[in-house]
Amino acid sequence: MKKLINIYTKILVLAVVLCTSVSCSEDDNLSNLNDTLFVRHKNADMPAYIHGNASEKVFLIILHGGPGGFGLNYRGATIKSEIEKECAVVYFDQRGSGMSQGNYSESGVSIDIMAEDVLALSKVIKHKYGEDSKLFLMGHSWGGTLGPATLLKDQSDFLGWIDVDGSHNTKGLYEEYIANFRRVAAEQIDLENNVEYWNSVIDFVNSVPQQYTDIDDMYTLNNEAFEAELQLEASNVINKPEDIDGKVIFKYNILTLIWNLLKVQSILDRNLFENLTFTDRLSEITIPSLVLWGKHDMVVPIGFAQEAYDNLGSSEKELVIFERSGHSPMFSEPDLFADKVIEFIYQYK
Amino acid sequence: MKLKLCTLCLVVFTKTAFTQNIEPTKKPPNLSSKSFLERTEFKVAYSGSIFWNNGLNFGAEYVLKETIKTKNRRGEERSNTHQFLLNGNLGFTTNFSTSTDTGIFTNVGITWRRTNKKGKQFSIEFNPFGYYRSFLPETYEVNGNNVEKVFLPGRSYYAPSLSVGIGKQRPGKKITGRYFNINFMLRTPYNAGNLPTFNLQYGFRFNLKKKKRNEEIN
Repeated sequence: MKKLINIYTKILVLAVVLCTSVSCSEDDNLSNLNDTLFVRHKNADMPAYIHGNASEKVFLIILHGGPGGFGLNYRGATIKSEIEKECAVVYFDQRGSGMSQGNYSESGVSIDIMAEDVLALSKVIKHKYGEDSKLFLMGHSWGGTLGPATLLKDQSDFLGWIDVDGSHNTKGLYEEYIANFRRVAAEQIDLENNVEYWNSVIDFVNSVPQQYTDIDDMYTLNNEAFEAELQLEASNVINKPEDIDGKVIFKYNILTLIWNLLKVQSILDRNLFENLTFTDRLSEITIPSLVLWGKHDMVVPIGFAQEAYDNLGSSEKELVIFERSGHSPMFSEPDLFADKVIEFIYQYK
Repeated sequence: MKLKLCTLCLVVFTKTAFTQNIEPTKKPPNLSSKSFLERTEFKVAYSGSIFWNNGLNFGAEYVLKETIKTKNRRGEERSNTHQFLLNGNLGFTTNFSTSTDTGIFTNVGITWRRTNKKGKQFSIEFNPFGYYRSFLPETYEVNGNNVEKVFLPGRSYYAPSLSVGIGKQRPGKKITGRYFNINFMLRTPYNAGNLPTFNLQYGFRFNLKKKKRNEEIN
C-alpha cells in the first residue's frame, strides 16, 4: 500500500510541477513572442494571447466578431504566417467571451465598458512592453462595432485603425440585409448560379417585415446571410476559406465558448440592432484608417464599406475591396489581406 | 380492445411485481464495530474533458449507512448492497495549451451507491458544498491609468456538483474498485451568470484496511 501511495504522490507532484511550469511559461524573446496574459478590468479577467515579432514593439490588437466570438479564431492563414513575422498580434478574448472570467451583473456587459476594456488592454501592453509600444487596432464584424466605440473614447494610443467588414452601423443592418439579398439574388439568377436557392431567398426576404421589428427576424436574416455565403462559395464566386487553424479547438473549452457566446449575445443584442450606429461619429476618428471588405459580404453587406470610408475623419485612409471574398477576407484572400495590413502598418508605425 | 389490452397489461404487471417477491431485508448494520479506516475508502481519478481540461481528483468516502436488500427473482435470490457515503474531493484541472482554465476545486457531499452480487456498482454523488479557485497566468489590473500586476491571480466560485457513474468492486485486490463518473459542476457567479461544466472521471478506490475488510466480506 505504501508503494501505491508513493506512486500517487509522485503523479500528483509531477502534475502540479507541470501545471505550474506551463502556467508560468513566458517567452521573453521579443522577436518571437508567445505570451498569454490577462487584463483585469471592472470585475472581468480577459485573456490576451500575444504571438509574433515584437522586436520593433509594434502590436496589432484584433477585436473578434460576435459578439461572443474568440480571439484565437483569427490565428490562422497569413495572420499567423505573415503578419506575425512583421509585428506582434494580440488576440483578445473580450468580456464575457472565449475564456474570459469575471463576476459582474448583466449591466456590466455593455459596448461602453467593453471599449474601456480595450483601452485597458492597450495600457497593459504599454506597461509590460514599454511606453514606446506602437499599437494598431483591427476589428472584424462585431469588432468593427467595438473598434469605433473604443477609438471614440480615446484614439491617442493607436497609430492606425483597420476595419475588416466591420459593423459600425448595426441599426442599419436589417434593411441593408433585405436590399443586399435582393441585389445579390438578382445577380446570381442572371448568372444562372443556383437559381432555385436564390429564388427562395427572394421569397424569404419578401416574407419578413421590411423594417426591423423583432430580433428573431434579425437572427433569421443573419443565419440566411451565412448560408448565402456558402452558396456563393459553392458557385465559385468567393474563395473557400483556407488555413484556419484546426488546433484552436484544443485551446478553448467548446462548451464554455458556446455558453459564453449565448450569454453575451443575449445581453448585447437587445439594443444592438435597434439603436446603435457610429456612422455620424466616424468623422471624429482621425487616425490613419484602412477599410478592408469582401465584395460579396452577405453578413455585413458591402454598402457599409463605402459608408465607413466616406465618414471616417482621417485624412489618410484607404478602401480595399476583396473581389473574391465574403465576410472573412483574411481567410478567403489571405495573401492580399496580409499585403495590405503589413503595408499599412509599415506606413504608419 | 383498449380495455382488454389495459387489463392484460395490469395482470402481467401485477404478476411480475408479486412474483419478484421483493423483500427488503435489512441486515443489522455492523458499521459501528468498524474503525474509521475500515469505513473509509480513498480514491484517485483522472478528471477532465480529454480534449480541453485535464486533471486529477483525489477523495475519500466514509460509509454512513449500509443496507443489504434481498429479493427473489425467478426463483433466484439476489442481494444488493445500498450505501450512503459521506464524500469529499480535492482536485485540479488545467488546459495545458493556454493555461486559461486552470483551477483547483474541493467539494463535500453525499453518495448513494448500489452494489450488486457481481460487484457492479451504480452511484449518484451530490456535492452541494463546493469551491473552485481558478488560477490565471500573468495578470494585470487596470484602474484608470494605473496598471498593477496581480499576485496569485484567479477567482473563487461556489461550485456544487453532481456525478452519476458506474463502477466495479474488486474484493481481495489492492485496489478495491474502479469507477467511471460523468460529473456536472456549476461555477457561480461566473461572468454575468454561471458556468456549467462537464467532466469525465475514471479512477480507482483503495482501502487502507483492505485485508481485514475483505476477510469480513468473505
